[in-house]
Amino acid sequence: MFLEVSHIVKSFRREHVVRDLTFSLEAKRTLSILGKSGCGKTTMLKVIGGLEKPDSGAILLNGNDITHTRPEQRNIVYLYQEDLLFPHMDVFENIAFGLRIKKIQKPQIAEKVRHMIHSLELDGQEHKMPGQLSGGQRQRVSFGRAIITNPSLLLLDEPFGSLDAGTRQRMQLLFKKLTAEYDITSLFVTHDLKEAVLMGDAVGFMTSGHLKVYKEAQDFVNDPGTGVQDEIKFWDALKVTKDQS
Amino acid sequence: MKDKWKIIVLYLLVGLVFFPFAYMILLSLAAEWRFPSLIPGYVGLMHWKTLLGSEKGLLRSLFSSTVISVSVALIATSTGFILSRVVYYHPKKRLLNLLAYFPYILAPVVFAACLSFFFLKMGLFGNIQGVIVAQFLIAFPYALLFFGSFWNERLRSYENLVATLGGSRYHAFLRVLLPMAKSMLLVCFFQTFLISWFEYGLTSVIGIGKVQTLTIKVFMFIKEANYYYGAISCCLLIFPPVLLLYFNKKYIFKKMA
Repeated sequence: MFLEVSHIVKSFRREHVVRDLTFSLEAKRTLSILGKSGCGKTTMLKVIGGLEKPDSGAILLNGNDITHTRPEQRNIVYLYQEDLLFPHMDVFENIAFGLRIKKIQKPQIAEKVRHMIHSLELDGQEHKMPGQLSGGQRQRVSFGRAIITNPSLLLLDEPFGSLDAGTRQRMQLLFKKLTAEYDITSLFVTHDLKEAVLMGDAVGFMTSGHLKVYKEAQDFVNDPGTGVQDEIKFWDALKVTKDQS
Repeated sequence: MKDKWKIIVLYLLVGLVFFPFAYMILLSLAAEWRFPSLIPGYVGLMHWKTLLGSEKGLLRSLFSSTVISVSVALIATSTGFILSRVVYYHPKKRLLNLLAYFPYILAPVVFAACLSFFFLKMGLFGNIQGVIVAQFLIAFPYALLFFGSFWNERLRSYENLVATLGGSRYHAFLRVLLPMAKSMLLVCFFQTFLISWFEYGLTSVIGIGKVQTLTIKVFMFIKEANYYYGAISCCLLIFPPVLLLYFNKKYIFKKMA
């Protein structure tokens, strides 16, 4: 397995936020993780990204133990719900940021960034400042900035949470396209049922610090704890009422 | 008619604001101006030539004041910026912020008296270095409190993002935090420069008359009842802050708005 997380425990003072977290993920696959607010999803991602230290447990990435590796040496990029574009840099410089840190040659950077801007469907926007972009465009730049560094693992913390329904749908399609084009392995955290099923090759459900990963989408749908059945019942009831009227 | 009155009142208010400055310039150029004369007996550069070219050392005071204030502003702004981040992430940040108010509880002269023993032991009495250190102790807490409002969870997220993109703390600081704080850094530099520039109490005690900043000179001339020389010192005293204010307004506040 490409990513192996075993028995991770994380507490803040007396509160157990992540309890015995164990799962694995194959390379070039996306695991969607669904859960309510405060269930420990963000903490789990931060532990995997190296932004929080686990109390116990181990994380293996491509066979290497990275449990105590510094975040800048893990090659794991963490994407927040907010796009967090650097306000003093234009689109080109925002996307090029990670490459400049890695001291890649300037012509190579220019070529890679231009290609990325094209993939993000942002042609002609490269010299715009973040304040001149729409929410969807900003989120695309944020994706590009992360993916261009060729991360081993991409952690996405409700990246479309602040977008409207239409933009969200377009972003989901773009994300699927990019992950296929750049062979991205990712953990996709969301609280949207539909998004979890659409985006993930596998789906996990997190409650009170526990994560349960479903191998098949049907198992996830059939589990009454995930809330999918309640959702189906709701829409069925609405359909029946409409038919009766 | 109503608008006309408004304009008259406005001009009157502007006149009231600018009158002390105009009067100060006139006083610096005047001589032989005694009661009951309405206009001075002499208007010219006589006092300016005497003061700037003589042993009174006004140019030297201007130089000392500039060196002290620029040093204090630079050191206080840079250390304030860096240490305010440390304070923000510290579990006892509220207590540390409270302690930063301590130098302002005491009057500057009392504060200087409290410090004088340590300054004497360290050989910082009566020299420019001592005055810089003393004024830093006033300007630094200001910078610390000023930058307290800059740090927040969003900036922490930026730092984390840079780390996961492969950047070190140095990268985050130099390429992200510093450019984002540029306007605040310049405003803080301006404010701490002014704190130092107009400081009198600490400078007079720690400088013991050997370090004569422009503020000290102004007080000296006023004590001597030499209003003409006092006015010249004041003109020199307000010139750098006015220049800084102009640059702040033109380049910084416009960007912040």
